[in-house]
Amino acid sequence: MARMKFLCDAERCIECNACVTACKNENEVPWGVNRRRVVTINDGVPGEKSISVACMHCTDAPCAAVCPVDCFYTTDDGIVLHDKDLCIGCGYCFYACPFGAPQYPQQEAFGVRGKMDKCTFCAGGPTANNSNDEYAKYGANRVAEGKLPACAEMCSTKALLAGDGDMVADIFRERTLRRSGRPQTWGWEQAYGAGV
Amino acid sequence: MKLIKKNTSAGAEQVARSGFPSMFYTAMDRRTFLRRSGLTAGAAAVGAALPPTMMRRANAAEKNTREAGVAAEIKRSVCTHCSVGCGVVAEVQNGVWTGQEPDFDSPFNLGAHCAKGASLREHGIGEKRIKYPMKLEGGRWKRMSWDDAINEIGDQFMKIREESGPDSVWWCGSSKSNNEGSYLQRKFVAFWGTNNIDHQARICHSTTVAGVANTWGYGAMTNSYNDMHNAKCMFFIGSNAAEAHPVSMQHILRAKENGAKMIVADPRFTRTAAHADQHISFRAGTDVPLIWGMLWHIFENGWEDREYVNQRVYGLDKVREEVAHWTPARVEDVTGVPEAQVYEAAKTMAEHRPGTIVWCMGGTQHHVGNNNTRAYCILQLALGNIGVSGGGANIFRGHDNVQGATDVGPNSHTLPGYYGLAEGAWRHWCRVWDVDFDYIKSRFDDGQYDAGGGNMAHPMNIVGIPVSRWIDGILEDPSNLSQRDNTRAVFFQGHAVNSQTRGPDMKEAVEKLDLVVISDPYPTHLAVMSERTDGVYLLPTCTQFEQRGSATASNRSLQWREQVIDPLFESKTDAQILYRLAQKFGFEDQMFKNISIEGDDMPNPEDTLREINRGTWTIGYTGQSPERLKLHLENKHTFDTTTLRAVGGPCDGDYYGLPWPCWGTPEMNHPGTHVLYDPSQPVKDGGLTFRARFGVEREGESLLANGSFSEGSELRDGYPEFTFATLRQLGWHVDLTREELEACARVAGVDSSDLPRNIRTASTEVLEKLDGVNWKTDLSGGIQRVVIAHGCAPFGNAKARCEVWQFPDPIPVHREPLYTPRYDLVAEYPTYEDVKASYRLPTRYASVQSEDYSRDFPLIFTSGRLVEYEGGGEETRSNPWLAELQQEMFVEIHPADANDRQIADGQDVWLDGPEGGSIRVKAMVTERVPRGTVWTPFHFGGHYQGEDLLDRYPEGTAPYVRGEACNTATTYGYDRVTQMQETKSTLCEIRAA
Amino acid sequence: MVSVFGSRLAKMAALGLLVFTLTGCYESASDVTLYEPGVYKGSDDPLLNQAGSAEREDALRERFGGQRDR
Repeated sequence: MARMKFLCDAERCIECNACVTACKNENEVPWGVNRRRVVTINDGVPGEKSISVACMHCTDAPCAAVCPVDCFYTTDDGIVLHDKDLCIGCGYCFYACPFGAPQYPQQEAFGVRGKMDKCTFCAGGPTANNSNDEYAKYGANRVAEGKLPACAEMCSTKALLAGDGDMVADIFRERTLRRSGRPQTWGWEQAYGAGV
Repeated sequence: MKLIKKNTSAGAEQVARSGFPSMFYTAMDRRTFLRRSGLTAGAAAVGAALPPTMMRRANAAEKNTREAGVAAEIKRSVCTHCSVGCGVVAEVQNGVWTGQEPDFDSPFNLGAHCAKGASLREHGIGEKRIKYPMKLEGGRWKRMSWDDAINEIGDQFMKIREESGPDSVWWCGSSKSNNEGSYLQRKFVAFWGTNNIDHQARICHSTTVAGVANTWGYGAMTNSYNDMHNAKCMFFIGSNAAEAHPVSMQHILRAKENGAKMIVADPRFTRTAAHADQHISFRAGTDVPLIWGMLWHIFENGWEDREYVNQRVYGLDKVREEVAHWTPARVEDVTGVPEAQVYEAAKTMAEHRPGTIVWCMGGTQHHVGNNNTRAYCILQLALGNIGVSGGGANIFRGHDNVQGATDVGPNSHTLPGYYGLAEGAWRHWCRVWDVDFDYIKSRFDDGQYDAGGGNMAHPMNIVGIPVSRWIDGILEDPSNLSQRDNTRAVFFQGHAVNSQTRGPDMKEAVEKLDLVVISDPYPTHLAVMSERTDGVYLLPTCTQFEQRGSATASNRSLQWREQVIDPLFESKTDAQILYRLAQKFGFEDQMFKNISIEGDDMPNPEDTLREINRGTWTIGYTGQSPERLKLHLENKHTFDTTTLRAVGGPCDGDYYGLPWPCWGTPEMNHPGTHVLYDPSQPVKDGGLTFRARFGVEREGESLLANGSFSEGSELRDGYPEFTFATLRQLGWHVDLTREELEACARVAGVDSSDLPRNIRTASTEVLEKLDGVNWKTDLSGGIQRVVIAHGCAPFGNAKARCEVWQFPDPIPVHREPLYTPRYDLVAEYPTYEDVKASYRLPTRYASVQSEDYSRDFPLIFTSGRLVEYEGGGEETRSNPWLAELQQEMFVEIHPADANDRQIADGQDVWLDGPEGGSIRVKAMVTERVPRGTVWTPFHFGGHYQGEDLLDRYPEGTAPYVRGEACNTATTYGYDRVTQMQETKSTLCEIRAA
Repeated sequence: MVSVFGSRLAKMAALGLLVFTLTGCYESASDVTLYEPGVYKGSDDPLLNQAGSAEREDALRERFGGQRDR
């Protein structure tokens, strides 16, 4: 059985935010909720690297483990989804998640927390596939249509990949092999000097 | 424990609706919240938004939200932002744009987008757009009908025409118009009777086009983004592709994975530099010394490609003389770059060929921009990198159709196709337009004015006021202008103003005008930046998704766009508006003689493209018929993504988009030219030579190619451009068909009855008349067809030249920016003398540089792009998905400079320019900029010198994000050849607010 | 003073009352919400429909090709 995974190739990520807006567009995510965002380290200096982060769809999801109302479930291919009708907006999954994936759209200016929203791997939620209800609550269900998440499909440099973990790993492995022909990529020349 | 479902809270939604102006219901609830709650700085906004579960489902069509169970139509288009030309797949339900899918088939983007491309669907929502025609009256925006708007504007323009002449209306066309729209913009002003029209290319790559075209014939990108897969080295100077052309990075990083080296020369450590092997930080405005510094090492080590130079390059020895001056020590003094770095870059380029050079605004936007661009070309010529796959001068153009608009659109210095403005050019286009030359001439002001250097000419033959100087047309003393009177009205169709320099002068100019007309999907900074209370018209104009037509990507490929949705609100397309005005002025029948009109007022795009095909022989825009382009659209997946060639399928052998030159008529079926100037392929397969444009000989040396010629060429050496005379000399004129001969005869003014059956028997008189017809004026394409059948290039086979003798600096030299922090260098590298008349205006150089501003304004002020926004930014800052990502205008300042001024990160500061403009922005303290240089994005507008202009926008049109336009604080300075503005190297000071 | 009838009646009544009272202790499985930690309690998701999943897997595998460098 395939296991769905994301991978963001930091060598290719240019922080263009296509993944962020593709998700906003595809799922009509409101202002203030960021299912996906790009994180940059060493901004502005040599060694700057960016990586796109959303829900990692963990195999042993901490969000699911701590939810007091057990509104999470995992599909057979590893996508972690939740039922917003059950969600009480307690925020505990946000505490638990190491990636900050759970988001809470607010009703008013002063922090009343609404139902948790997060990346669904574009697989919707526990309601009829591709129904208006599903779209309103969870956004698109591309997986039910045989498509993959919009963020990865629209990544400007094909840094962000989403799909069967084995296939994603294949692509990344191939790239790594190609890059090994370029010691500069790994900082060899910086460490050992040119010509090594 | 029992769990109880919570009810949707009705209260929240009521709050949303109250107070919302319900003039027209298109807004969605969450956007209303956005408006009411405002935006916070920096971190994620606490702007209230309804949680998804609490959304009330309303009619999908009103909300642009996809509807289950409704079939979606697929429409294919091209992104409207940058020149990469990413394919767009739109899903439309019941005429509403409800989804976007990746266009995997497109060989340009392979499904990818950047943030702007991934958010294009918002164009179909357009909440902040101008909804109907409006005018500013007594400080309030008043709605009006189209008819009233056209009549009022038309009447006022006619009055100005009568009182001051047609040159007193200054028109601005657009790089965002498609080919058909931009072509009609240029045609329109010809019928109105002026050359006063321009577009974004002026302030973008005008110096590139002039510099490059004058070096080897055409001024466009020589290879393509895709061809970069083949590069062994990529040298970027003044180009931040990661933010300006994000999807190009897909190709660039693939090249890198193939082993290519990457060098980025930029004062700033850009996101592109972060991916590079070498980053060279040099002082803004010192491009020529840096390139000459690299060439110094190349010549010193004998790395130049001698055979290539001997065969295909003229004048390199003169460059050697200049380069000898630029020793490593001098280069370091002027540019700040140590010898080791320059040497390494040169060595890398030399050892990894073919190598390509990429440049953008960092190199072009200087008053010596034409020197910079030529220096870049010369570097590549010395290395033998032009005309090879993986090499080239890969100029990344800006807007989605800036290439097309430059090629066939609204330029002040030429008619479509770079024919120029001499009488011959006008006669050619009048033939194409099927109108009388004298009629067109009569439309112009009948005077004689200084066309530069004291040469008097008719306005028809004088280049018009460029967009970089439109304000001076208004402000300058009319006796100093090369036209009858000042500009009294402006018509801006698809062009922002916050991308031009000298904000305070602009404000003064705008306030002086009789009227301002803005034809744009959005109000733009122009609508609000002045204190005018009357006489501003807003005409809602369509985006590229509300019409069909073709656009030309940076690599010269044309792509056809299908119409995605009907015009939103009361918008009209560029072409419709021009038609309406043409009707008002009474010349619509003449102007649209061969272009059918759809409905009331929409010029048929296919007919328009066909007219372009019939007239644009110079650059080979003749083979790209609508039919061929649509066939490419249907078969994108058959094109190889590195060679861009179709392998099998209905387009077999074509290059994707038929990149120009696509010689001859569409019937000739030329595949387009992917890599320019590549003699390894026959011309009929897309190969080419350097253009013979500059004469045959100079100072005793031949300018024609020396032993280099195209594969399959019957002429095994250099040759001049082809005329009927040349054909005759070679005996090839007999290959012309009867039809082609008749067409030549028409051009030559020979009666077809004087043409014998056998052309060999024609009289000398007839032949001599025919002799004058050339590959550019022959409307049949026969000369091109015959020449190519014999393996030759219609435009000749010459050497590229390093010396452009008509330019003020025949060999590129360094000149300090007008506002320079190194005043000590001005004596040795001064700017030009002031000029009395250039592009109709006096233009100052030395008189600006005569004063030293560096003590009061010690910081170099430069600007650039953000990936989330585009151009003037009104459109992208009105898209909530993008606006959320960049909510504040800011200035990047180095920690040392910040500490010197007691400025902390995130603090409000004033940035003061030496000409009096000041902007209030947030400071971003970062090491991205070197010490002594500050950088701002240029996309912001809607603030002016500390004041938020929100109240001046028509209700519901203010972009989500507004900010200071950096150009409020920029300064005077214009390229000596093209009037490009000097935005990349000026001065400023920063102080805490 | 307990009559035989009274005592039998009282016993029956007491027994009846006891039985009646004990019926209150009746628990049917469907009445009670037992909290089972970690078990999903939300609605069904048709995406988990086993019948369609092999087909979907193939479709997704093919679709993934779009993310490769072509």
